Amino acid sequence: MKENKQKSLYHILILQPTKIFIWLLIGFGLAQADSIFANGVNYTDELFQQIVVTGQIVDENGIPLLGANVIEKGTSNGVAADLDGNFSINVSSANSIIVISYIGYKDKEISANANVGIITLEPDASSLDEVVVIGYGTTKRKDVTGAVASISEDEMNQGAITSPLQLIGGKAAGVVINQTGSEPGSAPSVRIRGISSLIGGNDPLVVVDGIQGNMDLLNQIPPSEIATMDILKDASATAIYGSRGAAGVIIVSTKKSKAGSTTLQYVGSTSVDYIPKKLDMLDADQWWTQAQLSGVPASANHGANTDWYNLLTQTGVTQSHTLSFGGGTEKFNYRGSISAILQDGVVINSNNQKYIGRIVATQKALDDHLTLTYNLNSGIIENRGTVQSIGRASFTSNLITNAYLMRPTDPVFDIDGSYYNDPNVFQYLNPYAVAQTVVNEGQQDNLFGSLKADLDVYKGISVGWFGSWRKTNFTNGFFLPVESTSANAIDQNGFANITNNRQDEKLMNISLSYKEEFGDHNVNALALYEWQRQTYQGNYAQARGFINNIATYNALQLGDLSSVRPGDISSYKNDRTLVSFLGRVNYSYLNRYLLTVSFRSDASSVFGENNKWGYFPSASLGWQIDQEPFMADQEIFDQLKLRGGYGVTGNQQGLFPQNSLSLVGGSGVTYFGGQQITNFNVVQNANADLRWETKKQTNIGVDFAMLDNRLRGTIDVYTATTDNLLFDYTVPQPPFPFSTIKANVGSIRNQGLELSLAYDLIDRDDMLLTLAGNVSFLKNEVLNLSGSINGVPLNTNYVPWGPNAYLIEGQPIGTFNILHHTGKDDANSETVQDVNGDGTIDQGNQSPDRILQGSALPTYTYAFNPTFQYKNLDVSMLWRGSGGNKIYNGLKSSLSYLENVGRSNVLESAVELGISGSRYGSDLWLEDGSFLRLDNLTAGYTFDFQESKYLNSVRLSLTGNNLILITDYSGIDPELNFSGGNGFGGDNGIYPRTRSFVIGLDVKLK
Amino acid sequence: MKRKELLIIGCLSILLFSACTNVDENVYDRYEANEFYGTPEGSDVALAAVYAQVAGNWDGVGYAGADNGWYDMTSMSADEQVIPHRNTGDWQLDFARLFKHEWLPTDLIINNTWNWLYRSIFNANLAVEQLTNANAEASKIAEAKVLRAFFYYLLIDSYGNVPFYTENSITVDQIPQASRTDVYNFIVTELTDNVDLLSPEKGGNYYGRFNKWAGYALLAKVYLNAEVYTGTPQWQACLEACQTVDEGGFSLHSGAASDSSPFGSQYYELFGDVLPDDETILAMYASVNIVSRNIYGVRTLFGAHGQALFGYSGWNGTIVPKQYFLQFDANDVRTRQFVFGAQPGGVTYTMEVASLDDPGAAPQAGIRGLKFYPAGIMDGGGASNDFPIYRYADFLLMKAECLVRLGNAGAAKPFIDQVRQRAGLNGLDGNPTITDIYNERGFELNWEGHRRQDMIRFGTFLNPNEFRGASQDFRKLFPIPTSALDANQGLQQNPGY
Repeated sequence: MKENKQKSLYHILILQPTKIFIWLLIGFGLAQADSIFANGVNYTDELFQQIVVTGQIVDENGIPLLGANVIEKGTSNGVAADLDGNFSINVSSANSIIVISYIGYKDKEISANANVGIITLEPDASSLDEVVVIGYGTTKRKDVTGAVASISEDEMNQGAITSPLQLIGGKAAGVVINQTGSEPGSAPSVRIRGISSLIGGNDPLVVVDGIQGNMDLLNQIPPSEIATMDILKDASATAIYGSRGAAGVIIVSTKKSKAGSTTLQYVGSTSVDYIPKKLDMLDADQWWTQAQLSGVPASANHGANTDWYNLLTQTGVTQSHTLSFGGGTEKFNYRGSISAILQDGVVINSNNQKYIGRIVATQKALDDHLTLTYNLNSGIIENRGTVQSIGRASFTSNLITNAYLMRPTDPVFDIDGSYYNDPNVFQYLNPYAVAQTVVNEGQQDNLFGSLKADLDVYKGISVGWFGSWRKTNFTNGFFLPVESTSANAIDQNGFANITNNRQDEKLMNISLSYKEEFGDHNVNALALYEWQRQTYQGNYAQARGFINNIATYNALQLGDLSSVRPGDISSYKNDRTLVSFLGRVNYSYLNRYLLTVSFRSDASSVFGENNKWGYFPSASLGWQIDQEPFMADQEIFDQLKLRGGYGVTGNQQGLFPQNSLSLVGGSGVTYFGGQQITNFNVVQNANADLRWETKKQTNIGVDFAMLDNRLRGTIDVYTATTDNLLFDYTVPQPPFPFSTIKANVGSIRNQGLELSLAYDLIDRDDMLLTLAGNVSFLKNEVLNLSGSINGVPLNTNYVPWGPNAYLIEGQPIGTFNILHHTGKDDANSETVQDVNGDGTIDQGNQSPDRILQGSALPTYTYAFNPTFQYKNLDVSMLWRGSGGNKIYNGLKSSLSYLENVGRSNVLESAVELGISGSRYGSDLWLEDGSFLRLDNLTAGYTFDFQESKYLNSVRLSLTGNNLILITDYSGIDPELNFSGGNGFGGDNGIYPRTRSFVIGLDVKLK
Repeated sequence: MKRKELLIIGCLSILLFSACTNVDENVYDRYEANEFYGTPEGSDVALAAVYAQVAGNWDGVGYAGADNGWYDMTSMSADEQVIPHRNTGDWQLDFARLFKHEWLPTDLIINNTWNWLYRSIFNANLAVEQLTNANAEASKIAEAKVLRAFFYYLLIDSYGNVPFYTENSITVDQIPQASRTDVYNFIVTELTDNVDLLSPEKGGNYYGRFNKWAGYALLAKVYLNAEVYTGTPQWQACLEACQTVDEGGFSLHSGAASDSSPFGSQYYELFGDVLPDDETILAMYASVNIVSRNIYGVRTLFGAHGQALFGYSGWNGTIVPKQYFLQFDANDVRTRQFVFGAQPGGVTYTMEVASLDDPGAAPQAGIRGLKFYPAGIMDGGGASNDFPIYRYADFLLMKAECLVRLGNAGAAKPFIDQVRQRAGLNGLDGNPTITDIYNERGFELNWEGHRRQDMIRFGTFLNPNEFRGASQDFRKLFPIPTSALDANQGLQQNPGY
């Protein structure tokens, strides 16, 4: 949309001045030789005479629109544009208006002129006829009855985009895209309408051109090749995906070529990445002053002045390049692309390279009754990672966090040139040594392809076949030598391992669809059978005791083979089969009353013998109120639609195979009968009743457009209850050998309100200022965690779910139940409140001394997204924020206890705090997690070269990412893991989140 | 193309594929429990798996050798060792709480021990069931039953009244919390029924297993503490069980000087890589290449000291309280295990420990204990020393104790003197008193997991010491862990908690 505007603005900005210049020339010429131009421009004389108007009609990309209609307004006089989009029409007078129209584009009216030049049509932005992908099919926006958000290419975020999710951050209400740190290769997480499952999976289903997959599928698509992303939010929309739909569905449609056009395009960007904030630690002098106060002996001061943080960080660079090309005829079209995304991280020796090649082709046959669509996507990811979890036994974190811990007086190198290591500190770790000596290399190959065949059989009946096959192969090699100073590496005299994980996902479906209009009745029906199998395989090998570091992990056999241990060798294989039957009917009457009904039955192998099948119905209604006769005379609403739906979805993807069975697995080695033998053990509590987690969701929504379409909005309210909640429930020991069992007992409820608004503050021919934004509110509550299995009562409550955070009935998940800080005692040890006054501080999960203090889960998220266009210039901004959550700043507590100062550095703020140590994790470290971030500021300018033989357009853009962060949180960044999984809501140190400055280039060739 | 044909083909193919509704689960990388244990190999493995529970793993699983489990719970609540919180921020306070008799029902160590014992009983039940179904040799079935009795004995010793079950298939509401006496009676019956079925073979195949002698040793231990468990002493029965252990042909291992042994005495071979079979009745096998065990050496030493002695940085953990150390005779070979003063690596340990919790002990405060001097394969996480669950010196002292308690101190004297003389001391001047027995047990058996039980039996467990005042009677039992009470609300907490 933006680009279209730009193109039409082009006329005004570039062509008009040119024309004025020409007219000036003409005027000048007239003065010289009046006769030369006397032919057709004497307005006063020829006002009412027929004239010939000629011009060319092109689309937003400058592609000629063959067959576009050109009509003289108010008459039946009309012509069609030729192959090159050129037309010539005789109109009655120079006062005439000509109307140019083309299907899918906005009509354009222009005054008759001898030569109107190039006329660029804009795609129809009324959006009502916009095609929305709804799962196993498409529909028009106006016919949608569920809660579906669609984001098209020109609305997406720009800048240094390394993952498709970054394209839609802040763009859709209720869709929270969350990036924790900027580790190269790391992808954001996404949660649609909150957390509705504990272990069943909260990641939405990803569907890319019909291929279904988990979040990693998304990472295998080049962001610049995405045309639209449709997000199915409520159950009436997602129920069609049944057992995979509970957490929402993200449908990605990639770019396709159009008939009659060729494209060749380069899109690239380069970004420079900085760390905007670091923690204020003591410098060498401050540290020594504090250390002396704490009685640290002089022997702990090694006299250096080292800036460890600086040593481990650098300026990062992110590049992305995509070359795409394609073309087609009515019968055949194809598009190919090759992309590279190259990241050098802000922590030394961390980088990621991603390469993706794609080809999509469509062929028609059998007298155009058969359409074949073929899709092949191959990707390679090479990664050099930092070490994510290392350190002394009591505190492990990533390398950058370990850099904070370092005493500034420690040298980097010892006198003999080796990395410095202090034997007087338990499990001393020199993070610079680790960063320089570790080998941590990942390679991922992925390949997926699909074939889709659609056959029009008879009068609106069509049959479809779709098959896809996706394989990923991930290998990681790791080597940590003695020189790294890591106690673990020293103990083992260096160790190396290779991990290999393979995934194989096959999907096949056969569908029968029927589409017919009977007068005022419009029916669209679908029946589908689907079969999926996902196979997971892998192996792992480890060796230790290397005499040198030459071979790293490349020759495990060079290790000390006499010290092989249990766990050094392992492999696995498991799979999951899913069989589904589904049907859907879309019915509309008078284009006003819309009904969608769907039903899906799924059987999954991962469930207990007694509960393989699940049934997932949904129904939704839509009412286009603005189409009613009684609305004909009102002028307030240009569009008004009321929607309501209810649906049931299931969840099984987060459940690993084999959980329902009583199985025996290897459990290391034991000594029996005078020798070491393999030990076998029952691996889990079996549950033959393990079954579907079901989410029941009701959604009511309103879509409206007012004030001549200048104000557009959508409001949705929903309530979703997950029953038969899959979880590891506490069971009594005895008789169970393990303290938990996977079962379906509890329930969780999410209730929310979502509001999206856009307002065109300025809407002129050459200028458009749109203020868009969205806000969503979420209320999450754990309704119940108890129940019974086989009639035996379960008592699961106050389940630890993060640092001092719990699952508590009646509270949101991740509710902090924490001791209250009161001060410090005479020994400067932290004191907390003895709430029940019994003289002891009970630190149990259900302790009466703990106080409920909010949740780790944000209760509101919002985004503000103004866009401005003036002629060929466009500027956009994305502010994004969330709040209502708390963060337990565990890193701050670790960096604040002064008793640690002898072995590690502390925060500047720790000196004033003056706490020597603590036996508690109190609310002193609990902080407000609200933030507002200027996530993206982009300015772009497009140069059109339509006169050029080779060049179509060049767009230059500048983007700043993460420019401003407004928060009270004292840690590095409040945008932490909000995934809802166990352990979220705490901060133990993250890979830094970068601030980036990006320059982007987009070249379209002819 | 004829559309009807296509329609028919389309419909047919849907019907064809509709048959593909098979969603049975495939298992490729594990064995189905029922099939696996039904085989002869499976039943043998079921027995071996129970022993794997004895040796254990990290996370507080196992009898001894690692941390946060039964060994730490029982040892640090006595008076022989503790890990102080250090004023440098190292070490959590759980250990100090144990030593100061301030432990809480929520403490991880107490929970780990409970879970370990009940998972072990599950495995023992499974082994009994599988071996019985497979018609295995009577000695193997008996062995599984004796193992189960062993775990129940550890349970009632720590927790008192505990849930009791012998079949895995039943549900929790069918598992009553049995009284300590009832479980005691079960253990005694189960042992007396089964110990004679056990193999009399020593070492080799039976190293680290319950043979007949280890079975009687267990029975003797149960009788020894019968008064604590039931109120009724069984000194005579204990004495008789000890006498049956004697038939196994055990003797005290030499205490002679040896340059190749730790601290220059063969005595310390009793705690080495493979335990000598002259004195060892039941060993727990450990090897670093299975899982790091015997962390006790590396856990006690200061970093640089450990680095200097074995090339691995010490953890600066366990200390021996000064009061305990000072009871030893200076000539006692058994004092050599205690390390203080200037040491290699530039470390100087002081005998005094100012504080166990707040603000904590200075880094080099406290006497260190190296009874389990690292042996065999070693790494920074431990060494391969096996652990003596039962050894003959213990049973000599038990015989002496029973005889003294039965009023026959004269007959007891040779037993206690043997143990003293091996340690380089003289025999007692007169007949042993009950205090002599108690003290000698402390000198001989410290750090071997017996001290708490002995202190309770001899009535010293609640006495004040250098780090705490007199303790309350309810501390003689550990609380049932909070998580167990939460999961099974039919359980009754021990009084006082």
